[in-house]
Amino acid sequence: MRKSSFWNKAGTRSVLASLAAILIGMLTGGLVILIVGLSNPSLGLKGAWEGIRLVVGGLFATGRNAGGSLTFGFNTTSFGNMLFRAAPLIMTGLSVALGNKAGLFNIGAPGQYLAGTVGSLYVALSLPTSTLPAWLVWLLALLCGMLCGAVWGAVPGMLKAFLNINEVLACIMTNWIAANLTTWFFDASNLKNVLEGTKSGYIYKTSTVMHDVLMDGARSTVGAVVPDGAEVIAARGGVATGKLGLDKLFSGSQVNGGILLAIVIAIVIYILLSKTTLGYQLKACGANRYAARYAGIRDKRNIVLTMAIAGALSATGAALYYLSGNTEFFWNTYQSLPAEGFNGIPVALLAINNPIGVIFSATFMSMLQICGQKLTELTAFNEYITNVIIAVIVYLSAFMLVIKTWIGKLRKGKAVNK
Amino acid sequence: MDHGNDYVIEMLHITKEFPGIIANDDITLQLRRGEIHALLGENGAGKSTLMSVLFGLYQPEKGEIRKDGKPVRITNPNDATALHIGMVHQHFKLIEVFTVLDNIILGAEDTKLGFVQRKQARQKVEELSKRYGLAVDLDAKVEDITVGMQQRVEILKMLYRENEILIFDEPTAVLTPQEIVELMHIMKGLSREGKSILFISHKLNEIMEVSDRVTVLRKGRYIGTVNTAETTAPELSRMMVGHDVQLVVDKAPAQPGKTVLKVTDLHVPSRLYKHDAVKGVSFSVRKGEIVCIAGIDGNGQTELVFGLSGLEKCSGGKIELEGEDVTHAPIRRRSETGMSHIPEDRHKHGLVLDYTLEQNLVLQSFEEPRFQHMGFIRFGEVRKYAERLIEEYDVRSGQGPVTLARSMSGGNQQKAIVAREIDRDMPLMLAVQPTRGLDVGAIENIHRQIVAQRDAGKAVLLVSLELDEVMNLSDRILVMYEGEIVGELDPKQTTVEELGLYMAGAKRQQRKEAQA
Repeated sequence: MRKSSFWNKAGTRSVLASLAAILIGMLTGGLVILIVGLSNPSLGLKGAWEGIRLVVGGLFATGRNAGGSLTFGFNTTSFGNMLFRAAPLIMTGLSVALGNKAGLFNIGAPGQYLAGTVGSLYVALSLPTSTLPAWLVWLLALLCGMLCGAVWGAVPGMLKAFLNINEVLACIMTNWIAANLTTWFFDASNLKNVLEGTKSGYIYKTSTVMHDVLMDGARSTVGAVVPDGAEVIAARGGVATGKLGLDKLFSGSQVNGGILLAIVIAIVIYILLSKTTLGYQLKACGANRYAARYAGIRDKRNIVLTMAIAGALSATGAALYYLSGNTEFFWNTYQSLPAEGFNGIPVALLAINNPIGVIFSATFMSMLQICGQKLTELTAFNEYITNVIIAVIVYLSAFMLVIKTWIGKLRKGKAVNK
Repeated sequence: MDHGNDYVIEMLHITKEFPGIIANDDITLQLRRGEIHALLGENGAGKSTLMSVLFGLYQPEKGEIRKDGKPVRITNPNDATALHIGMVHQHFKLIEVFTVLDNIILGAEDTKLGFVQRKQARQKVEELSKRYGLAVDLDAKVEDITVGMQQRVEILKMLYRENEILIFDEPTAVLTPQEIVELMHIMKGLSREGKSILFISHKLNEIMEVSDRVTVLRKGRYIGTVNTAETTAPELSRMMVGHDVQLVVDKAPAQPGKTVLKVTDLHVPSRLYKHDAVKGVSFSVRKGEIVCIAGIDGNGQTELVFGLSGLEKCSGGKIELEGEDVTHAPIRRRSETGMSHIPEDRHKHGLVLDYTLEQNLVLQSFEEPRFQHMGFIRFGEVRKYAERLIEEYDVRSGQGPVTLARSMSGGNQQKAIVAREIDRDMPLMLAVQPTRGLDVGAIENIHRQIVAQRDAGKAVLLVSLELDEVMNLSDRILVMYEGEIVGELDPKQTTVEELGLYMAGAKRQQRKEAQA
């Protein structure tokens, strides 16, 4: 009896549907690898088999042994990097999920992510760390990024609330405006990396220490080493997210405290949505705007508020990624939008908009990216095969409801047979 | 007419369960060829479920369906269509921006080389329209025609598809009295032409007038099938409800007190057109009286209520509630100043269908300190409150407070709204068609509660399209015609006929602007 009620729970069925989507996605990816492998003489069946093993277990790949065959084991670098990359995905996933809960399709996560990038990088690289402690600059950078994201998210929110413009259209437009503004902003800024000649098109890492110095009466910016005879006016940069000991746990990886912050924020959003009056209002507006209005809930305010919070969440994702200290931002964004933003959509879909589920789906997506990397590193396959898997999962996410009904019928059929 | 025992459709021992509820429990329904067979039952009695089973929307756990004596399996609506079963839904399934003709042929178009053969279609529809007396304007867009004509379009859709078995799901709920008479006439004509009709209703007088036989359901169970000629309305109502029902409201004379709502020269714009739907309406409602706004649907009543409740901005005039000017106040402010509101459309405004019953019961009050602490919902208190309301107002549902509003029957959804609004205990209650689409038992219950509100010193503004309700419940009647109040009547001194004349705009009074 207890068992049947467990299987009939809506939650169980949703999780099963998500797992089914993942499984079918993986199978399709395996099939693609098989076809590519067999049609390429240098790969063959053996290569294809290696590819499939890497797509499934790439996270555990440690390299090749002397005999040339793949070795597997606990790979701290891969694990750490998976967690590091999961943080921004959790944030954009939360952003999309929150919008969905409130009945808004937030396809503007890429633009909000860029707004967060600009806001946080500008503060992190401009405030003098010679007078302010680095942790404070880090915090201010994060907050500034969130604010920029919130404002950017509120724009389509206001267009929707007051002019009844579809949020999807407004978001797509604001995405590209953000992409161009970002390029223009950094192009005009003094944050372009000129210290390292090979890094044209990149902004400084936030961990880079820059000294504004007076040398021979003229003002200039130099790196960590200050030349003799130069007078230091201020130092900037040297800002990085705290590692919190995670780097020791996952040695050789980029992981830092950002993942913990992202998890905490996911829990906060979960509590916001399910335990507070604000969450009650937002969801009511999403489920039936007219009934919400009838009940005196300020639906317009709530639309703007939802989009602002969603924007801040996406922006936090960007801040966590770029404030890490070992990531660089390529500022010529005007031709492309950050993938982290769009990947928030499958992350949210796969998690059925549950903030706690987002933690897991984002980690899974980030694991796929690691697998893709290993695929390129260790075989002749292209890492884009993992994108095929993600694409299949996205498609299946859209059919989640159908899969859920199938599972329901399957269970019922079995129950009747008994 | 002797129909014999020639059954077109037989539904034998149908059982259909939903989580926590048995919607149909061993129900048998046999439809004879050419008869009008009424299916009678309260809301939640299982009528809609039974029809959904016949239409292939649900699969029954037990039971058998036979067509012309042969067992058939109906797994989806296409199977039903192939068996020539057609249905006029309570909410019409028409495309508003298409013409009447296009709506009729949609999905069953004759094509030649991919082009729709409208000429032949038009001929066929015109023939059908003449034969069955279904007057429609084939070239009008559906959005521009009356509800009554939309219903005739739905009937023509079934006839165009050569359906033999026609199901009418509460067809009179949306019609004016004249349109109802016309529909009865049409149904009789269809039956004469050999069509078999299943007529779902809970209006006893209509069933008595038009049907040959009646099958009664109660709480998912089959109660019996009787010949209409051999029964009476009270007997049917006893079968349906299980006990005697009082069809006339018992109430003491009103004891009006001080004015609660005062409306002066109110103008409210129409959502569809560029002119005002409410054109300078003045009236007042006092404590301890039920004032009823009567009128044919679409004469500005909806907009008047929207203006009063704040759902629509007023374009002129003044609304005073408890002495406070709330003409431009937001909805929340009005509601807190002293207005509760049973909305006209319970699905659109009354409920968040994807919320649970308990969540819906605190739709306005969730921000009150008793239900929240520092912005966190006090779930225990909400549950206790919901349980009390469910108990007191007899709201029935599969899983109690955690039932999704969507999965509740229409009558119980309405009971939940009424419970919520009455319990908010406000000096003024706006009740807009509070018994729309409900069965006798539920209507009686809600009427009693509205009268109890009045006797407890509340001011009630009732908007109703049902003449019986207007005559039975109100202490004063205001008739609206084309956005204006054309008459103020005393229900004890007027007749339904006189009321009808005012409603049709054939008669009007010169009223003094708003009495003190």
